[in-house]
Amino acid sequence: MIAAIPSAVLIGVEGQPVHVEVHVSNGLPGFTVVGLPDAAVRESRDRVRAALLSSGLSWPLRRVTVNLAPSGVRKGGAGLDLPIAIGVLVASGELPVDAVGGMAFVGELGLDGSLRGVPGTVVLTEALRGHRLVVAEESVTEAMLASQADIRVAPTLAALVDRLTGRQSWGSATCGSSFADRDGRNGRDPGGVRCSPSSTTDLAEVRGQLFPRRGLEVAAAGGHHLLMVGPPGAGKTMLASCLPGLLPDLDRETALEATRVHSVAGLRLPPGGLITRPPFRSPHQGASSVAMIGGGSALMRPGEISLAHGGVLFLDEMGEFPTDVLDALRLPLEEGEVRVSRARATAAFPARFILVGAMNPCPCGEGGIPGRCRCSPVARERYARRLSAPLLDRFDIAVRVEPPSFSELSGRLPSESTAQVAARVARVRHRALVRGVGANAALPVSMLSSVAPLDSAALRVIERQVGSGALSARGVHRVQRLARTLADLDNDGDGDVIGEAHVSEALRLRCQRELLLGDQR
Amino acid sequence: MTGSLDSDLAHAAALAGLPGMTPVRLARSLDGFTPVSAWSAIRAGTHPADEKRRFAPAARTMDVESVGHGYVEAGIAVLVPGRPAYPTALIGDPGAPAVLFARGNPGVLDRTPRVAVVGTRSATHYGRQVAAELGADLAGEGITVVSGLALGIDAAVHTGVVRGGSTGTAPPVAVVGTGLDEVYPSANKDLWESVAGTGVILSESPLGTKPRPGVFPARNRIIAALSDVVVIVESHLRGGSLYTAEAAARRSIPVCAVPGSVRSPSSAGTNALLVDGCIPVRDATDVIVALGLVCAGRGEAPPAVPPRSRQTSGIRHEPTVAGREMKASQRAVWQAVEDTPTVFETVLLRSGLSTTEAALACEQLVVAGALVEGSGWWTKA
Repeated sequence: MIAAIPSAVLIGVEGQPVHVEVHVSNGLPGFTVVGLPDAAVRESRDRVRAALLSSGLSWPLRRVTVNLAPSGVRKGGAGLDLPIAIGVLVASGELPVDAVGGMAFVGELGLDGSLRGVPGTVVLTEALRGHRLVVAEESVTEAMLASQADIRVAPTLAALVDRLTGRQSWGSATCGSSFADRDGRNGRDPGGVRCSPSSTTDLAEVRGQLFPRRGLEVAAAGGHHLLMVGPPGAGKTMLASCLPGLLPDLDRETALEATRVHSVAGLRLPPGGLITRPPFRSPHQGASSVAMIGGGSALMRPGEISLAHGGVLFLDEMGEFPTDVLDALRLPLEEGEVRVSRARATAAFPARFILVGAMNPCPCGEGGIPGRCRCSPVARERYARRLSAPLLDRFDIAVRVEPPSFSELSGRLPSESTAQVAARVARVRHRALVRGVGANAALPVSMLSSVAPLDSAALRVIERQVGSGALSARGVHRVQRLARTLADLDNDGDGDVIGEAHVSEALRLRCQRELLLGDQR
Repeated sequence: MTGSLDSDLAHAAALAGLPGMTPVRLARSLDGFTPVSAWSAIRAGTHPADEKRRFAPAARTMDVESVGHGYVEAGIAVLVPGRPAYPTALIGDPGAPAVLFARGNPGVLDRTPRVAVVGTRSATHYGRQVAAELGADLAGEGITVVSGLALGIDAAVHTGVVRGGSTGTAPPVAVVGTGLDEVYPSANKDLWESVAGTGVILSESPLGTKPRPGVFPARNRIIAALSDVVVIVESHLRGGSLYTAEAAARRSIPVCAVPGSVRSPSSAGTNALLVDGCIPVRDATDVIVALGLVCAGRGEAPPAVPPRSRQTSGIRHEPTVAGREMKASQRAVWQAVEDTPTVFETVLLRSGLSTTEAALACEQLVVAGALVEGSGWWTKA
């Protein structure tokens, strides 16, 4: 007898519907899986058999063939355990065909017959719209994000069979309940995830650092990429961790994209399921380019840049990252998404984020302080070259971060809090949306003259810089965008002309290679 | 055919170019020998300064004539003691180089008096500025300025001399560590050319000598020996320019030092020299006064002290912006910036201004020529 059970597998951040066809026939007892299964799927045979037996169901002592259609697509993951088990039950006559009509199944089985969740339930559910979908309890929240209706839950295989045959009623699937009392879902959380806002720092805790604070505020308000240069222990990491708190909530579309990526990567989602706060990712410099960009052979996993989608990617000790990893960031930074191509499949992951880099100014860390740093100009040059010119070009802002000096700090008023700054940031972001762009950093050159007009004094400042060769034509546009953000932060009026002060400040904030090279003529 | 070196000079150049030759070994090889006789003794393996015969195999394969051709074609003069072009100041010096190579016009070495102005490679804006002023002012008074064509202070000194180039200006003299065909550091390429064009560059290293530690301290003794007064502008506590000071002291040549901030690491060495009793120097006038004592001691006419009022030359007054007094925000920034390089963050903390106000005031002060900025560091101009 034959059964066909709908299910789905992951390909990148997309769900691919799969029909699990099970054929049970007379012959030598055996179990074969065909249709390009990976190791996890092939091993499901042992899990399914044990789960059936420990649930008090019988394993057919006949020949069982499982086909995963479409058979040309590589299938991975343990989510096919449940549909295979149901298929075997239907094909061997233990379950009536009518009981599973219009239903789809996704889940991993334990040897005791318990149902476990799988990564990417959000996108798998999306791929199975139109079916009543059965998932494990822990996946309910994710599944409900994708489709509000038609989600069914069972704790174990035995209970599921009872509910399918009508011996037990379906409980109502509730959202969120299963998250509160569970941490680190079955060890699938690989760690290193910092979900905002719990791990972010409040700006009020940062003493001094007036200029870097301004840099952060501008980066948040205009979506500008930020490079921090300073000696070890100056507080670069602390400053960077303040940034997500300054950003406004994600819009619905970005929130869904970020949630999908996190779900596919098997990372923990916040209570309620949807990621609404900008994520903060800070990969170690040992990260490979696949870990950063995304990839893998069969099961394409999103990289750090996609996990940071909508939020902040913080690269500490940026000079220590391999140059090929850094240069691989260039295209995604430009396009806001990354396409990963492998022999068997191509996947596109979203990757719109604010890049925050931190770096020592020179090998000795002394900071290129004129007269103090003893690094040779050649050594400093070599250190600075670790960031290629095109990558450095992506940074709109660069600030020096100096270790705070206690004598200069004493007697100062407490600093502004994250909430105060975030209110200004939200206002600027809103104004950018009115202009038709996500943030001022994305203003196209064609719009600059109408959206960011300069008054005559400001033009003189710019002309002087261009005349002395310190500013290129491309640099002028970046200064103009920065000045737009600065003026937006300080002014309440709309459509205002940018003055000399904000252009001067933009020149101070703008990223220059000289900052890394120290005071050399 | 560009002509060829005479036999003695070609052999001297060949001796200096033997692999493993050092200034000390070279001096010993030529002690009591003419270059030609020293060469044949080394070839034969009978030279008393080459008992281990380490140079004999190389000398046997080397073609002296083509070595000489190389120098002629590169336009480099070979100077040996006893020949008229050899600088008289070095004759009788205990550490005098036995062979000296020159690019440019070696005749300028006859001009007296000569002052060495040297200092650290890792210099501050203050140090470079003082060095350039000293270079320009001294050369303008007809005093030959000797330096080392390194980065930082040395480059600033030569730049000052070359830029000040009018009719009465003394031509620049540089003593370098590498071979004269190896421009090091490469950032000084243009400066190197203009020094060779108007003055002379000396080296005791043969053509093709790459920069390596050791050649630079060694050339410092030549700088000291050539000069009547040595001025150190900025030096770290254990800087290479202190070798020059030491070499000068051993030759009883007066050492002057430019005082700096007690907080500035690049002035630590010069301030220590002052504490030890060196002559403090604020400007060219102070150097000329020191030089006057030297000249008087030798029975020469001392150079005239320029009538410029010295009380004001080195002192900085509060600048005006576009002819007017500074605004409050500009004064706050001006007072926040120290003589040592100050970072923008410190300007913000001290002035109490917002980043926007401070950035504007900085920009205006730069335009007024009151401040300079280099890679995020601010200094008074």
